[in-house]
Amino acid sequence: MNPDSSKDISNKDLKIGVFLCRCGGNISDTVDMEKLRSSVDAEVVEEFENLCSINGRKIIRDSIIQKNLDRVVVAACSPITHEKTFQKYINPLNPYLLEMANLREQCSWVNPDVETATEKAISLVNASIEKVKYAQPLDPILRKTTKSAAVIGGGISGISASLSLARQGIKTCLIEEQPTIGGAMVKVGKLFSPEKLAEECAMCLLNPLVNEAVEHKNIKIMTNTTLKAAERRSGNFHLLIESKPRKVIEEKCISCGKCAEVCPVEVKDSWNEDMTFRKAIYKPFAQAVPDVYTIDLENCKNCGKCQEVCRMNAIDLDMEGEVIPMTVGSVVIATGHKTFDMDKRPEYSYGRHDDIVTQMELARIMGVNGPTKGKLLKPSNNKIPERVVMVQCVGSRDEKPGGRKYCSKVCCMVAIKHANVIKQHYPDTDVIICYTDMRTPGMYEKYFKYAQSNGVRLIRGRPGEVAEKDGIFTVRLEDTLSKEPLEIEADLVVLSTAMEPSDGTINVSGLLDVGLTEELFVKEKHSKIKPVATEVDGVYVCGTAQGPKDITDSIVQANAAAAKISELINGGVELEPFVASIDQSKCTLCKKCIDICKYKAAYIQDGILTVDPISCTGCGACIWECENNAIEIMGQTDEQIIATIDGMLKDKKPDEKRIIAFLDSVGYVSADNIGINKITVPSSVRIIKIPSMNRIMPKHILHAFKMGADGIIMGEYPYNPMYSHTKEKIAGLKGELVKNNINPDRLAFYKVYIPYFRGLANKFKEFDGEIKCLDTP
Amino acid sequence: MKTIKLKKESVQLVKEVLKDIKASPDLGIYKCVQCGMCTSVCPGAKETDYDPRDMIRRVLEDDETVVDDDNIWNCFSCYTCNSVCPCGNNASEINQILRQMSIDKGEGMKKIVSFAAYGDSFMELGVGSIPSNFFDVMVKDIGPGYMDLKINIEDIRTDLGLGSYILPEKAIDEVESILDNSGFKDRLEKIKRCK
Repeated sequence: MNPDSSKDISNKDLKIGVFLCRCGGNISDTVDMEKLRSSVDAEVVEEFENLCSINGRKIIRDSIIQKNLDRVVVAACSPITHEKTFQKYINPLNPYLLEMANLREQCSWVNPDVETATEKAISLVNASIEKVKYAQPLDPILRKTTKSAAVIGGGISGISASLSLARQGIKTCLIEEQPTIGGAMVKVGKLFSPEKLAEECAMCLLNPLVNEAVEHKNIKIMTNTTLKAAERRSGNFHLLIESKPRKVIEEKCISCGKCAEVCPVEVKDSWNEDMTFRKAIYKPFAQAVPDVYTIDLENCKNCGKCQEVCRMNAIDLDMEGEVIPMTVGSVVIATGHKTFDMDKRPEYSYGRHDDIVTQMELARIMGVNGPTKGKLLKPSNNKIPERVVMVQCVGSRDEKPGGRKYCSKVCCMVAIKHANVIKQHYPDTDVIICYTDMRTPGMYEKYFKYAQSNGVRLIRGRPGEVAEKDGIFTVRLEDTLSKEPLEIEADLVVLSTAMEPSDGTINVSGLLDVGLTEELFVKEKHSKIKPVATEVDGVYVCGTAQGPKDITDSIVQANAAAAKISELINGGVELEPFVASIDQSKCTLCKKCIDICKYKAAYIQDGILTVDPISCTGCGACIWECENNAIEIMGQTDEQIIATIDGMLKDKKPDEKRIIAFLDSVGYVSADNIGINKITVPSSVRIIKIPSMNRIMPKHILHAFKMGADGIIMGEYPYNPMYSHTKEKIAGLKGELVKNNINPDRLAFYKVYIPYFRGLANKFKEFDGEIKCLDTP
Repeated sequence: MKTIKLKKESVQLVKEVLKDIKASPDLGIYKCVQCGMCTSVCPGAKETDYDPRDMIRRVLEDDETVVDDDNIWNCFSCYTCNSVCPCGNNASEINQILRQMSIDKGEGMKKIVSFAAYGDSFMELGVGSIPSNFFDVMVKDIGPGYMDLKINIEDIRTDLGLGSYILPEKAIDEVESILDNSGFKDRLEKIKRCK
């Protein structure tokens, strides 16, 4: 694409064809077509009843071929309705050599008066003619993504995403920081099914998935590894993966466990929530994948005893870590969560007594592969508890310092699950859940009712304190339903702690330049309509890295993320080419454009400033920052904007008022809605569609006033990532007007919304009135 | 049966509470979910029928009778309720606002008569001091040592190398003059008349 090629022909020599549509009277009943025709200065001016029909296509195509036209203007309905149609109709011309004048939605339907409607129609057509002169042949942007992906995090989310990708033929690398994959799901022991009202073995459900991942030819599992660095280049990601030395040769280890028997170092076993001990050479649990031992670098004393007993010669104490570079097309963040730090809530006495535990610790105690082999025994004395009291919302729904404002979403179900398991195996143990609200949406309500029928007791009140005296705990709360302060004696207290973003989630997001929420979970591109997508195209998120959720939701998200990657790979993406283009000869690599772009579209590659066309929205905010005028927006060049303004203000009569309205795509649709609802707007208003108000520069505004505009109104949808800049810019533009002795009240800004078209119509009327007042001495 | 009427009554207690000068700007009363954490740690609620959670509920439900409820006088202003509240609410603060409303109405005046003697000590000694009518209670709470301390305070202070805590005559006169001119004295008399 050479931007200068069209400039070889002088704009005056271009042959432009203008095609006027009567739209079955919708336009011609209000606009004087005869006058319009005679006012248009073009090589060809044709008029037709329904240009969008197949016959219209013939007229346009024949004219282009017979009259050798270079550019086409179609004056008809809104481009929103039929731009795509007419882009096809002008074939053999490049589709971007077309401009449309919106004579229906933004002229005949909003201006019932024939004379003013005709005047307006003439200026709309003129603006299109002027703009189309600067149109350049463009190609839609097509991108296909490399058929490979990296999934960071080997919990249930990461495993599910990897499997879905692999089954779709995508080469996937599963990167896990721990020596084994499986994440939190292998630790929870039991899962419950709201349909069957029963608990199932988590390991038994997960194992087939893990095995499939191990066996799958498209999946490479890399445990003991972390992401070190990431760089995005032309739609691919260059990753640096660092692997910690396992000090055990995976291929040789037969997992006999002799090494652990002789290892003299004992440390707390985090896999059992520090309730048991393991050796410095260890395998986290029996079914760990990969099925090999690992040396814990922090605690190993290098005594060499393990080496002596290993018959396979699998231990290499001199093994070094590795940094592995890889290039993938997409990345999935599945880095999971951690649990609330109980040091922040000393009132619950956690850490001071062995029998005050978290739900995860209780899960380990009740897990058949846990410290008590599945028996519910108190950690302090190995006796069965008489009463278990569960405290809900510990650290969740909590605005105190260090607390989490959100609901952790799974704790109600986890508490009910554990209560049910206890009731089934130990019917004599009393279980009380202290809750503020039981949140068991959908089918989970059935499981909640099942718990009630099992004799689980529920007391509504949030405990303020857990105290201990002579080995008995007192949980203090108010039974808010009976309005009574209450002390419950218990010998096992279980705290339902909040889910928090894991350190891995925060680190990996930083490396990939992905935005985080206020709570430091990975932020989705749009939490309603763009789930699993992140701010960086090609990076997706699933599971608890995105927010608190259960296993079912994590798997759903993992599959969604894999489907999104598959879309990129198999379908590719075709986009409008209206994006930033860099004049490399002027660019000094000052990086100001990179800093301002919240779409993260600009980056430097091999010393050249590059724009990712998939991410760029063509908003133009970078142009303001560029001191060297090295940036242009294709389809919205300065020449095109100036030409459009000139066309809109051409042949303005001395007593006439003209207001230019710059609207973004939301505002433009809203303005179309005004027409569809046949609401009258002042005839002075001339609408120009602009990708974002960030594109409008002082020179455009000053030029419009110089050419006779009486007022300028700018409309933008406020919920776009660059909106904060828009607001600053409006203030800057007003300042420019003051400097040039133009009343800043002639420039107005308005927030636009698609359904709020009546508000926009009123704003037009109001502003028109204000401008008239300003001009009345 | 209570009815939440379609037409709202003009008085809205919660708005008046929030308008009060004592109300913190970020008081989280609207965010209360009635979890009862405040009541669970409240020493007043342990010994009496005072229930900070229920007091908040009554304010939110526009129940003006809460202002006249004797139980609001059982708060110790220890602020433990505030320290645990997960919604950023402050029952102690709201309690003080309700008490002031009760005093403004006149009813609450009787509740603070016994504290009037504190005011007298400012007038007479220029400093706040536990009035003699509380001595019995103090002895009950602290033990007979309290009276020994009271009687021997000057000697103890001398032993510790501290000066007299009794203000000079001139200073007491000045304090009295300030209290008189600022309206404190009148207010004190008004409270005393409610006996």
